[in-house]
Amino acid sequence: MIRSSGLWSALAGRASQAVLVAVVVGVVSFSMMQALPGDSAYRIAAGRYGYDMMDAASADVVRTELGLDKPTSVQLANWLGSLARLDLGKSAVTGNAVADELKVQLGHSLLLAGAGILVSLIIAVPIGIAAGLRPGGALDRITLGASIVLRAVPAFALGVLLMLALAVHIKLLPVAGFQSPKHLILPALTLGLGLAAVSSRVVRDAVSEAMAADWQLFSRTKGLSSGQTLRRHVLRNATLPVIAYIGVQLAYVIEGVVIVESVFAWPGIGHALVHAIFGRDVAMVQGTALALGLTYVVLNLIIDLCCHGIDPRRRSIT
Amino acid sequence: MLPTAPQHNGLSVARLIGYSLLAGLALCAVKGPDLIGIDPARQSLMHTLQGPSAEHWLGTDHLGRDMLARLLSGAQLSLALAALSVLTAALPGTLLGILASWYGGWTERLLTLFADAVLALPGLLLVLMLAAISPGSWWALYAGLSLTLWVEYFRYTRQRSRVILSEPSVEASRLLGFGATHIIKRHLLPEIGPGLLTIAAFGAATAVTAVAALGFVSVGIRPPTAEWGVMMTQLLPYWREAPFLILQPVLCLVVTVLALHLSVGVRRPT
Amino acid sequence: MSPVSIAVEALSVFAGTKQLLGPITFNLAAGRALVIMGETGAGKSLLAQAILGTLPAGLHASGLIHLNGQRIDQLSPEERSSFWGRDVSILPQEPWLALDPLMQASRQVNEAHHLVAGLGSRAASVATRNDFTTLDLNGAERRLPGALSGGMAQRVAFAAATAADAPVLIADEPTKGLDAERSTKIIHLLAKKPDQGGTLLAITHEASVARRLGGDIMVLKSGKLVESGHTEKVLKNPAADYTQQLLDAEPQAWPKQPATPCGDILLSAENLCIWRGKKCLLEDFSLKLHANERIAISGPSGVGKTSLLDVLAGIRAPRQGQVKRMRSVAATGIQKLYQDPPAAFPGKVLLGKSLRDVARLHGVDWAVVTEYLSHLGIHPSLLERRPDSVSGGELQRISIARALTANPLVLLADEPTSRLDPITQRETLAMIADIATERGIAIVLVTHDLVIADRWADSHYQLQNTGA
Repeated sequence: MIRSSGLWSALAGRASQAVLVAVVVGVVSFSMMQALPGDSAYRIAAGRYGYDMMDAASADVVRTELGLDKPTSVQLANWLGSLARLDLGKSAVTGNAVADELKVQLGHSLLLAGAGILVSLIIAVPIGIAAGLRPGGALDRITLGASIVLRAVPAFALGVLLMLALAVHIKLLPVAGFQSPKHLILPALTLGLGLAAVSSRVVRDAVSEAMAADWQLFSRTKGLSSGQTLRRHVLRNATLPVIAYIGVQLAYVIEGVVIVESVFAWPGIGHALVHAIFGRDVAMVQGTALALGLTYVVLNLIIDLCCHGIDPRRRSIT
Repeated sequence: MLPTAPQHNGLSVARLIGYSLLAGLALCAVKGPDLIGIDPARQSLMHTLQGPSAEHWLGTDHLGRDMLARLLSGAQLSLALAALSVLTAALPGTLLGILASWYGGWTERLLTLFADAVLALPGLLLVLMLAAISPGSWWALYAGLSLTLWVEYFRYTRQRSRVILSEPSVEASRLLGFGATHIIKRHLLPEIGPGLLTIAAFGAATAVTAVAALGFVSVGIRPPTAEWGVMMTQLLPYWREAPFLILQPVLCLVVTVLALHLSVGVRRPT
Repeated sequence: MSPVSIAVEALSVFAGTKQLLGPITFNLAAGRALVIMGETGAGKSLLAQAILGTLPAGLHASGLIHLNGQRIDQLSPEERSSFWGRDVSILPQEPWLALDPLMQASRQVNEAHHLVAGLGSRAASVATRNDFTTLDLNGAERRLPGALSGGMAQRVAFAAATAADAPVLIADEPTKGLDAERSTKIIHLLAKKPDQGGTLLAITHEASVARRLGGDIMVLKSGKLVESGHTEKVLKNPAADYTQQLLDAEPQAWPKQPATPCGDILLSAENLCIWRGKKCLLEDFSLKLHANERIAISGPSGVGKTSLLDVLAGIRAPRQGQVKRMRSVAATGIQKLYQDPPAAFPGKVLLGKSLRDVARLHGVDWAVVTEYLSHLGIHPSLLERRPDSVSGGELQRISIARALTANPLVLLADEPTSRLDPITQRETLAMIADIATERGIAIVLVTHDLVIADRWADSHYQLQNTGA
């Protein structure tokens, strides 16, 4: 019998997470709307018709049309209803449809996230394997120390430090903006270094745990060389916890994207979110937060599927 | 029979360093502002961007305000917010975790749904949005942090308690006639206590970082309040004239987070 | 004379300066078997590890080791590993843990034929298929180790370890965790080695295993040689007291406990049905338990023995039938002993504190508890420790004292000695019987060992799988 219940429950779990993301983002955005100073009907009318064309009458039209005179609970239901129809509204600042703005920004953010993860793997995997093969050795202790210190440096502080050290001092790289591929280097390095601080230790632990396993020793005592054992058994087994950990790190990736984009003025969703909060553009806040949240869910799902694909135990014949 | 792991001593030393740093930071935050007795808000446009001197030990910022006074005041703000939000997250989180694992059924399902709702979004994103309901106010930040952080205590407590409550030792205690108080006091708390402490330290580090991050991207605490993240934003334009100024709040932040991580031996419980 | 396969001279193992094993000296010729016997902690496994060069970090060995005529103790670790699989096969102690959890069973054998024995990929496949047929593993080729039974995993490991047909075979506790039938199978496989002119070094704590392997024997106690000689002679007429104790501890050698006169009925179970999920484990089970009575319940694993105890204890409700507790038996009048003693105590609390809690709850004077403890041979200093730093045997006795503090009339014991060494097992069960007789307590003992059930109890219920 092929067991696939694990796959379906993972899919169902992610689907319900997506719904929760929408509800949480919707409720918080609605609260943000309610907390804005002044009469919201006036604000919306101003958004629709422009400040010059707007008066008390048009505000009243908006009020009845949107049910702003109804109790808060009804308004919340309406709010979530339009969210469920994926009607994200228009930006209060630019007047463009939120969905249109998101399309462009999402690509930029995914590029940054992908580059960051890539950088972290390029750093973490070789270091982790080398350290894990000799636990307690010089490399292990040095990278442990580096990891502890690096973990204590928040993404934006790391960004600032890298900016000072690389871009400005050495005049090597552009500090901010989005004109050339070179602009990607600093933000990706910031994100990647932060991720690698932890994931290098995860790789190290996975490898050293595999090296200490009974089956590793048995592979040696049945006659395989250390290289054969490493390639055929140790690395395969060590891959699983590392992939699973990338799932855990996704939260850091999304948070990192928000912060790193703001530091380097990278025109992605995180940057837009921070701008929208600063400018009190609730529709944009909702749209960007929703996009980030759903990206988080989708990336998690991809990791779930990867784990499922790699681990033969999850689809084995029983 | 086998020799004990050699890392043990190294970790204890790390913890000791963590404790000392934390104690030092706490002392600075509590007593520091009174001791130096300089108003962190007092501007002096004649003395901007100065290096360390007898009068201003760590120099002055772009508005001529005393850096040391501002850093200390920032420490007070960060540590107080962190301690407060950790406390209001830990107590309900732990209690609800025990409650969920004890009763199971609908109690557990409902609480888990709440936790999942909080966990559906990355933590910082949620703090950012909650804080944005009332931008610039410290209480919105505090509420956002507590609401985000309680889940970790809940999840950890619930998972560990479920395992512990199904162990033979708990069954034995029930057969011997002990009640809930005994089981919580002797079985649960001693087992989950160290883990909770670690979560608290990491939670405090998260809180300190989040406060500074939000301040840095101008959606958290607002100027002219002396907050590390805000200070970094304000001093960044002057990196060429006075690089040592921008490095000060960065260093404070890093040392605080490092101290919290070290104090619990760096590793997070899972 | 046949050539010497393994020669060991004054072999010792140290942790720092502390000597854990030795000095041990022996010569093992081709076509012979040597059995190393002793209890846990006797250093048996260290001997095998020292010969192979697989001692854990922190331990080091001294003395001379010759393998197939070549001195190997002064070689580098990498040089020593070149013997593995080719000159000496090593059967692992925990076959389940020794197989790569992510690789199909046949591939783990196949790679040994291919990479160690040097067969071409087609020949390796043929050899692997042959192995699976001879070892009765057909159908298990594509399974992952997690889906193998303990006995199957043992045989897969055997095939992988012996693929290159090394002349020497070392087996560390080959029967650990296997039931009687599976033990016989693996012993049979091992015994073939010397018959075919190879050499067998086997390590075990069971005299029955040694008896069936024959050859020579060395009995170890705390790392020291107690006696050695021809296995049959030593086991028939042991010269050392310790060997005699080990033999006496075999359940077959136990004297039958005298039957005790029964008292009033304390607990009765009528027409019990116990289910686990959708599976009926036990049907229509009835039992009457009298004061002073010793009942044993045995049966294969998964038959529902533990579930039955839980129903008797009132922790779990039966699907059908009922358990009646007589009015003389208080709510805390039924106590349990557990299979894994460390799991039966709160892990982070000092034992003394745990016991005082119980004494306070039941209004028992502390002096009474200390008397139980001294009666059970527990030194008071042990109470200053946590459960994980006391031996299993001592901890089980402390748990007996804890149960007695609640003044029980019924004691339910769930495999209380299956994780203990044979000598400790015998002592502990004898102690439980004595105490029960003294205080008129009724005992239900759950065990997987039919001989123990038979020797120890007044009456014996054998549970069987209900086909369903």
